[in-house]
Amino acid sequence: MRPFTRLIWKEARELLRPQYILPILMLPLIFIAMGQGFGGIEDQLNQRPTVGVVDGDDGQYGDTVVETLRERADVAYHTNGTGSDGAVRAALNETTAAGGNAVLVIPENFTERIQSDRRGLVHLYTNVESVSIVGIASSAQVEGLLSEASHNVTVAATGASEVQLDPIERDHTTFVKGERIDAPPATISTAFTSQFIFVPIIIMLAIVFSGQMVMNSMASEKESKTLETLLSMPIPRRQIVASKLVGGSVIGLLAAALYTGGIAFSQLSIGTAGSSAISLSGTDYLLVGVSLFFALVGTLAVALALGIFADSQQGAQMLLLPLSGLAIVPMFATMFTDVDALGPLASGLLLAIPFTHPIIAPKRLLFDDVGLVVAGIGYVFLFAVAAVVLVIKLFESDRPITGDAGWLDRVVQLVQR
Amino acid sequence: MSTPVVQVSDLRKRYGDVQALDGVSFEVSAGEIFGLVGPNGAGKTTTLRTLATLLNKNGGTVEVAGHDVETEPDAVRGSMRYLPEDAGAYDSMSGRAFLEFIADFYAQGDEAAAMVDRGVEIADLDERIADKTSEYSKGMTRKILLGSALMTDPDLAILDEPTSGLDVQNARSVREVIKSFPDAESSILLSSHNMLEVEYLCDRVGLLNDGVIVSTGTPDELMAEHGVANLEDVFMEVVA
Repeated sequence: MRPFTRLIWKEARELLRPQYILPILMLPLIFIAMGQGFGGIEDQLNQRPTVGVVDGDDGQYGDTVVETLRERADVAYHTNGTGSDGAVRAALNETTAAGGNAVLVIPENFTERIQSDRRGLVHLYTNVESVSIVGIASSAQVEGLLSEASHNVTVAATGASEVQLDPIERDHTTFVKGERIDAPPATISTAFTSQFIFVPIIIMLAIVFSGQMVMNSMASEKESKTLETLLSMPIPRRQIVASKLVGGSVIGLLAAALYTGGIAFSQLSIGTAGSSAISLSGTDYLLVGVSLFFALVGTLAVALALGIFADSQQGAQMLLLPLSGLAIVPMFATMFTDVDALGPLASGLLLAIPFTHPIIAPKRLLFDDVGLVVAGIGYVFLFAVAAVVLVIKLFESDRPITGDAGWLDRVVQLVQR
Repeated sequence: MSTPVVQVSDLRKRYGDVQALDGVSFEVSAGEIFGLVGPNGAGKTTTLRTLATLLNKNGGTVEVAGHDVETEPDAVRGSMRYLPEDAGAYDSMSGRAFLEFIADFYAQGDEAAAMVDRGVEIADLDERIADKTSEYSKGMTRKILLGSALMTDPDLAILDEPTSGLDVQNARSVREVIKSFPDAESSILLSSHNMLEVEYLCDRVGLLNDGVIVSTGTPDELMAEHGVANLEDVFMEVVA
């Protein structure tokens, strides 16, 4: 194996050790588990509910309610009689045993009240065994059944047609930052949130985790003095730096891919209504990828540079804090507001942070701000080049051995404390 | 007289306000083991790190195997190996994989394979050579590192405290490997606080104090010069 290839292989093996890779693997699993959980709720809500009915009414509207229930649900228990406590309890027990959890009691004067222009009363008894999203969400299904029964009773009582009951058809056109989208604002909001709320999180996590790994790896090499062994061998310093950057970038991009996969999986499970209203093209994704790649390279170079000054792995963790902060600020900024909507000072400061550019790129590409995204890539590229040049200079100095940061030493010690 | 493998002349190194090396000069000839001895903070490790191209000097000249450390650092790195004090190996690698990793920087193909075989022989870890280095004791780690340093057959092996922290058995084993290494073209430059070890191993010794070599010679010459019976007393006299 060629020395440079061997170096990259070494870096990858070091970074793929359990203490580094487990946190990366855990997050996608959490996303998938969340997706499975929400998917399970949705599956349950899509199934026919099981209910019981105690029908004390012998009129036509009571029959309409029962017919609606039979059409839309599995009626596990049906009895004609009054809704005495004993009858309700028996109905609830039977229905629960059959997998349901709700019993509808239609009193004897139900039809009579509607015919005399008063609202008919249906009493709903629900047995909640699980105080959770699943347990409580299932009662919403029965509410839906009652709404439909109410609609059917209205049709039966008035003889009105469907058009008469809902005579206005809506047709939405929404302009988002001048971009015309033929969908209601609520649908666009849902689609945007479901597709893009996680993008800043993924990018932030990829930056923070890869930076953390490289900085820890660097601090570990210093602690075990393998760095001294490495630097005294016949290989140019820039190749040592390059191997660490390549190894870290590969792991960082792998992490980003895993997070994206995990989130995509959870999104599939949840479902995204109206998502076709807004989406990115293949070229857009490529531009986001390029922006993220340069941001990662720059981050790793900065992490390497900071790792030089860490006297231990614990110290490296502390030095990572400012870097993490710089990734978290644009993430929150883009999740809760729009960079362009901020004042010139705030947006200028935000745009000066290199990590802002890959984070805001998807949003900008949605509205065809390609020029701004390309300018952002140029800025992130310059940041990456400057950071790489800086770290090569540092590797060619005494600093990897002495850890001497000059006047910065006092600042670093302050941060580490 | 053989050509010096190491030529250090008026070497100076400053860390901020501290003058760590203040005109260090010495030579190491081919085939000899040269010991650098001195109290803590005398400048031993700084001298060794400068020779290993890890630190930049502030003055003087340093040549290793005829190459200047400042103008030809890559050539220097190709002709010497450096074993830092208390160094470790990569946790994710087995002993053999570590030797293969190092060998790739000095040779390819059959030559690299022969180098690894030599490293395995020097390390003398039997079947434990296949274990992860994270499972090694301090003595085993030191042996694998020594094997990795000497298997490349460098012109100069720089060993900083090679037996520091080792038990008697491992220390003796490491000393035997060091003693048998030099030949007509290879030398060893080591530092140690163990005067008995220095007396046993070294052909010549340089006594370093406050960043200056205060005395150089064979152990017998130094003892005679200071009128004492052993190197430890020489050390005490010099430091006093």
